[in-house]
Amino acid sequence: MEQWISFAKGPLFAFSLLVMLLGLLRLVIIQVYSLILRKGRRLRNAPWKKILTDASTWVIPVRHLIAGTRVFSIVSYLFHIGILVVPILLMDHIALWENFFGVNLPAIGRGLGDVLTLFTLGCVVLLFGYRLFVPRLRSMSMFMDYVLLGMIFIPFASGYLASHPNANPFPWNVMMLVHILSAEALFIAVPFTKLSHIVLFFFDRVSQLHWQLRPGAGDKVAEVLYGEEVHV
Amino acid sequence: MTNKTPADTVETRSYPYYIENPVTEHRVESFLKAFAAVLKYTDYKPLLDSYCSSNAKCNRCAVTCPVFLATGDPKDIPCYRTNLLLDIYKRYFTIGGWLKAKFSGGFELTDDVIDEMLTLFYRCTACRRCTMECPMGVDHGLMTRLGRYVLSLIGIVPKALHISVREQLEGETHNTSKVPKVALLDTLGFLSDELNDLLGIKMEFPVDQMDREHVFFCAVSDYLMEPETLMGNAAVLYAAGDWDKWTIGTGNFDGINYGLFYSDWHLENIIKQLLAEVDRLRGNTVLIGECGHASRSAHDFVPVFGGRHTHPVVNFMEYTLDCLEKGKITLDPDIITERVTYHDPCNIARSGWIIEQPRIILKSFVKNFVEMEPHGQYNYCCGGGGGLVSVDEIHDYRMEIGGKVKAEQLRKTGAEICIAPCANCKKQLKELVEHYDLPCKVMGLHDLILKAIVIEGAKSTRERKEEAALLEM
Repeated sequence: MEQWISFAKGPLFAFSLLVMLLGLLRLVIIQVYSLILRKGRRLRNAPWKKILTDASTWVIPVRHLIAGTRVFSIVSYLFHIGILVVPILLMDHIALWENFFGVNLPAIGRGLGDVLTLFTLGCVVLLFGYRLFVPRLRSMSMFMDYVLLGMIFIPFASGYLASHPNANPFPWNVMMLVHILSAEALFIAVPFTKLSHIVLFFFDRVSQLHWQLRPGAGDKVAEVLYGEEVHV
Repeated sequence: MTNKTPADTVETRSYPYYIENPVTEHRVESFLKAFAAVLKYTDYKPLLDSYCSSNAKCNRCAVTCPVFLATGDPKDIPCYRTNLLLDIYKRYFTIGGWLKAKFSGGFELTDDVIDEMLTLFYRCTACRRCTMECPMGVDHGLMTRLGRYVLSLIGIVPKALHISVREQLEGETHNTSKVPKVALLDTLGFLSDELNDLLGIKMEFPVDQMDREHVFFCAVSDYLMEPETLMGNAAVLYAAGDWDKWTIGTGNFDGINYGLFYSDWHLENIIKQLLAEVDRLRGNTVLIGECGHASRSAHDFVPVFGGRHTHPVVNFMEYTLDCLEKGKITLDPDIITERVTYHDPCNIARSGWIIEQPRIILKSFVKNFVEMEPHGQYNYCCGGGGGLVSVDEIHDYRMEIGGKVKAEQLRKTGAEICIAPCANCKKQLKELVEHYDLPCKVMGLHDLILKAIVIEGAKSTRERKEEAALLEM
């Protein structure tokens, strides 16, 4: 079992991290390439000031708390803080980052880590409940939307149990293996699922740029479909 | 191929709006072919890639959409509508979608999906209110427009929009209402006489004058339906001493651009036609009358399609505010006593472009001004946006669903006058006021200015008010 854990912590961890990072890098390159090279000079016409001002209102989206989605929005927002802070800044994870990247990040204490973990787990349950019980959300939700919430739940829950032997009914090493493997599965899923909004979020937010249409494209499309003598 | 029962054949399906030549066969194949061509020659592909991958389906957009608020139908959720197009893109134009279909089946484009799209994309007014509240910033208005664009390439587009664009681009009159030059000159003569009666001043409208600063374009329907707005525009130009600085071109005098609502192809060619007229007259500024989508299409797309060859675009309300701030015009604050509210047309307010300008003008001479809630950038659409107001056969939908939230908003203000500086909003709001029996009069900003503007050598504002009261008796 110990060998399994060290394999999961070492080569497998490196592999899953690499898949995630390269996958995300691929998405970023495609977006940047298409914006800079395909849009080119037209990017200068875009209302940059407005785009950036709009985007900045989402850093702390207090003004976006609108009737009908207030609780859902607050839960979602806090959930995002949890899933970013805990995996990166938890004391036990800091060593990993130092091993792999040589960076020394400031750690959050175990107490705060525990609170954030339980809190994030609560958020996952609430979000799951929302998808399941609010009709308009249920009608939009696909199988993967539920699966992804589960995929986030498992590493958080197993991590908590592994670090709290008193609360853990399972052997420590089993829990640890589940924790590591489920986290790695999540890493691998990131670039191929909607979790890719980790990076694509920034490109979606500037999607107003796509109103800078390509001159001549309309004529070309019509000509290709209906020939040069095309009429309205 | 699946075996179709008679009930499933396209011939038996009905469209929710008139279509010139309803497509009856091979709609799925044609749609995919058109979509492929659009993806090949335009820049939408990376946008769709991004939306497909990151779309969180959080559903916040639902509670901002006036259509969903009116119906509560999940199919009216902006994200649902956008996903119709994204599902097709994912399935037929990405490797992941192709693999998924190969191994596990799943989504397939059918005539039912086409029917759903052609219905839902024309229930959306492309007001982009939902985009303001999408945490990801997904532009559902842009997606509605793209969906309509691809549908239009296979011939599915409301006839009202289609024939207007055809006349504008390929007809003799080059305008959507088929107003010939002689009728325009007649109308201008009539407006001149009306202004003479009203103000006691003879103003000859400048037509085809070369080298003027401003070339004026309004929604051509204003010449037929909104004479008071145009007379208000003229009064401001005259009072500001700019009468010899503007002209109307007879080659092209229509600011309407339905391409903004459904076609990149038409949007570009209509903009080029407008620029050609400004060049013919050697004018400088494109001055757009009170029209939301005409203003936005010129303001946003002249730089895109004009390239280096471009002209500044000014909305008439910007021009009027400039005159007011420079002291070139005076508005009498004692003439308008009614309670007045202002409706923000989505096409000029959503981007934050024109929100304060009309309010500064209004507050300078209207004592009893009241805001709708919400207003400005967060305002609700009148329910006639995205070209829907021109589609007469969906009048019931526009009244009962599209405009329901707006009517309620308007009722709450208790306003006697609603200012709507947009030809489309004006038509829709006038119909709404009638439908919901609201004690409110809908008019343009310059209709109100016409009543209050002080013009040297003309009849006084008080005298004009008394004359108008006599006429109404």
